[in-house]
Amino acid sequence: MRLIKSLFLSTVLGLAALPAAAQQDIVWWDFLSGGDGVRMKALIEAFNKEHPDIRIRGTTLEWGVPFYTKVRTASAVGEGPDVMTYHLSRATLGIEEKVLSPITDEDLANAGLKKDDFFEAPIKAATHDGKLYAVPFDIHALILYYNADLLKGSPYIDANGKLAGIKTLEDFNKALDWLKQKGVPTPLTYQSGGDGGVWRVFYTLLTQQGGEFVTNGKVLDGDNAAKAAKAIDIMSAWREKGLTPEQAEYEASVALFSAGKSAFQLNGVWEVPTFKDLEKNGKLGFKWGAVEVPPFMGKRSTWADSHAFAIPNEGDKTVSGEKRAAVMKVIGWMEKHAISWADAGHIPAYKAVTEGADYKAMEPNATYATLAEAAAFDPQTRITGVASPAYDAALNVIAPAIQGYMNGTDAVAQIKLELQDKLK
Amino acid sequence: MSDVLTAPRSQTRRPAKSLARRIENIVLSTITLVAALVWIFPLYWTLITSIRSDENVAGNASLLPDEFRLNAYVNAIFNTRLMTWYLNSVGTAVIVTVLVLFISMLCAYALSQIRFPGRGLLYGVVLASFMVPAQTLVVTQFILMKDLNLINTWAGIILPQLIAPVVIIVYKQFFDSVPKEMREAVVLDGGGEYTILFKVFLPLNWGITTAMAIVTFIGVWNAFFWPFLVVTSENMMTIPVGITQVKDAFGVAYARLMAVAMLAALPVIIAYIIFQRRVTEAIMISSGVKG
Amino acid sequence: MAMIENRRKKSLVALTMVTPFLVTFTIFFLYPMLKMIELSFTDAPLIGAGQWIGFDNYAKLLSDRLFTISLKNNAYFVALTVVPTTAIALLIALGISRLSGVRQTLVMALFFMPYVLPVSVVTEIWAWMLDLQFGILQPLIALISGKPVAVFKNPYWVMPTVAVVTIWWTNGFNVLLFLAGLRNVPAELYEAAALDGATTWQKFSRVTWPLLWPVTALVLTLQLILQLKIFDQIYLLSGGGPFNSSYVLLLKVYREAFQSNNGGYASAVATVVFLLIAVISVLQFQLLRIRRNS
Repeated sequence: MRLIKSLFLSTVLGLAALPAAAQQDIVWWDFLSGGDGVRMKALIEAFNKEHPDIRIRGTTLEWGVPFYTKVRTASAVGEGPDVMTYHLSRATLGIEEKVLSPITDEDLANAGLKKDDFFEAPIKAATHDGKLYAVPFDIHALILYYNADLLKGSPYIDANGKLAGIKTLEDFNKALDWLKQKGVPTPLTYQSGGDGGVWRVFYTLLTQQGGEFVTNGKVLDGDNAAKAAKAIDIMSAWREKGLTPEQAEYEASVALFSAGKSAFQLNGVWEVPTFKDLEKNGKLGFKWGAVEVPPFMGKRSTWADSHAFAIPNEGDKTVSGEKRAAVMKVIGWMEKHAISWADAGHIPAYKAVTEGADYKAMEPNATYATLAEAAAFDPQTRITGVASPAYDAALNVIAPAIQGYMNGTDAVAQIKLELQDKLK
Repeated sequence: MSDVLTAPRSQTRRPAKSLARRIENIVLSTITLVAALVWIFPLYWTLITSIRSDENVAGNASLLPDEFRLNAYVNAIFNTRLMTWYLNSVGTAVIVTVLVLFISMLCAYALSQIRFPGRGLLYGVVLASFMVPAQTLVVTQFILMKDLNLINTWAGIILPQLIAPVVIIVYKQFFDSVPKEMREAVVLDGGGEYTILFKVFLPLNWGITTAMAIVTFIGVWNAFFWPFLVVTSENMMTIPVGITQVKDAFGVAYARLMAVAMLAALPVIIAYIIFQRRVTEAIMISSGVKG
Repeated sequence: MAMIENRRKKSLVALTMVTPFLVTFTIFFLYPMLKMIELSFTDAPLIGAGQWIGFDNYAKLLSDRLFTISLKNNAYFVALTVVPTTAIALLIALGISRLSGVRQTLVMALFFMPYVLPVSVVTEIWAWMLDLQFGILQPLIALISGKPVAVFKNPYWVMPTVAVVTIWWTNGFNVLLFLAGLRNVPAELYEAAALDGATTWQKFSRVTWPLLWPVTALVLTLQLILQLKIFDQIYLLSGGGPFNSSYVLLLKVYREAFQSNNGGYASAVATVVFLLIAVISVLQFQLLRIRRNS
């Protein structure tokens, strides 16, 4: 039966690889779709063109749980990719799952990189027990998008068409009410029916109150519970008054904004290119902008995470030698060409790129450039991060609470019940 | 056998029929016809969507085809690994079908024609495995495949699908029904059991073998859960698993998605149209409502 | 002596014939089954060894809310599909049996076509038709509920919708079985009934239905076993959500094993599901047989 496999592989793959026998094939997995996906594919193509000796074979899997389930299983049986994108928010979980192979100093040297080349926060998130487990690629955060045309005539837009005067939750709620009365169907949109969208908004509202999700090995301990309940109740109130969409899927939540049915959107920086592209092609039909999420609850804070590159363990073994060197070469190249990635709205983690003039001139990235100071990363625990128990709770506890199935306090009790055991 | 669908009652052809009867008949026939059209509508709508341009798909509720573009198909063929998935699907389905028929036929013959110790027990096992759900074994089957180093291989996809108790049961019933004399004639000529099976029993009714081949092939071609688990590399995926990847790579582009769906469905649809009678028969035979 | 020789030789030949089946069965069915039971008493991850922990996994099952939810959802799904699909298939078969010739073949083909499609094609088609913004069926849904509904995101709509998709997909199979059953009803019985002046309904309830009972029983049994094993459509359409309202047993097995890496616990769930389905199918089989015989 091995024979069938090898016969098949040699015919299918062999034929394709014939012209350049020495070519190194790099199997690459990512979870990037939409504007992100387009830009990443362009980067991969550019790399392949420049490097006749290395060929990246990219595969895009579904973001979130499907991606990380596949990665974990494939890595456990030694069938994982050579390199993959990974969220630093789940680095602890990834190390716990034994998926991540440590990146040595030698690896970094092969990529032409040093730890000092990167911003400190993502490097810290990727480091455990002194070992680096992933190479950070960007920092991305939740921002507030607005439709300037819909807000025209309200006190919340200045003469230049920029958002103004929204400093507290009260201001924001007034703006939403004003929009609703004006007949805007869904004044504020976010992915209310998915783990990612719900978590990002919830975590932003929690941390803006100075709340923390995990303290001293306890989930939502002490007054953090009340703060979390308050965050959930705010989100429920929005839904109840018809200010936010019910159970919106990701694409639908974005479509509401681009179709002019929502005046505000709470979403990650990665949708910036979507609206840029639409505007460029003349298909958007309104003026828009994006700002750091205002300090609704008093404190400047906004959910943030990092995309990184990681090398999976392959069962008992790990990719080594030439292949690993080639992988590191790919990573190094990507970091140095991260300006195209910044075009996807992200802040490159590689400092040199952010210091260039190209980056400083980029709009609207410059408007929210300050948000690095307000970035609130998920705590580094085994229950948090993309596709973690906390994200599951966002989908199965917080989302129903927002839909009115229970109040904030009960939801928090249930979150604690479900997550505390898993924290151990 | 050719008339599996035609009901023998000749009610409709009887001359003495009241007007009321006739009206009733027309009304009921029309309802059936309309219901059939409603039933097939999703496939029709898939086709219509797939030949529209991506921009024209959104919000276009026109039920009639208003443009004919093959862009989505071209896109689907060249921008996905559909052809590789076809190859994997055809390859694994053919191999499973051939092996299942062979394994089951031999086992059924022995159960039917030869007295040997443990025969009753073996038949009990076959019947029991028909009753219990193999899907619950996926976890340990997966671990086994990992130990055998067969993740991401055709063998990994194929092996657990080789156990087909239904085929054994159907073959056994068929062999049971063959008259004793036919067997004895060969034995007198000095022929062994294999000769009897392959030279006499099998040629008696190729219909059964064709039917079993069709049922097995459709089952394997459409299998999702197991190939989905045992394959992690895009190059080794079968059609049903592969097309779920396309969605993620394309984002929301329904014309292209529906073109991919049509391409994935086309081989089975064409095969069904060609072999319609056979398929119908095969299903009746395998579920025991027709011997 | 010759007879014993002969018998032994025959047994040997039989052995060569059953060996291929026995080997595949032992390696890919029996071994995984025993291994599953063994693993269910350990805390093993998916890949790798674990510690023997006795009945801990089973004890945990009793208080696992998600397991109870899955159990309920499986029962709900069975209720939504088994009897409805049987009834619909019977109606369609009765309709088709009134047609004749090419028309009958064509109509049968239209009803049967979905059955030959891969499940992922089926789910993609329906996801498109039920798309919240552009789905062609949303106007119909708006008629019922007053506004468009994201059916796979709504706890009340999700299971019934998955049931509709499932019935659409698999119903052709049941129609075929009923047609075969109808064909086996002797024409004389209808003629006799007609002579007695029986109405269509009387013919159905006194002649067709009683004689069709064996086929009906078969369809019910096959459907019950099939629908208890629901996984593919749920995984592809709703992923178990929203709020676990479509979480089913096999999804639980899959998630525990492949997402949470709890090989032992997943095996315990799988063992319970295995036994549950086996017992139900044997029971139902017996029950239907008794009813048929009496």
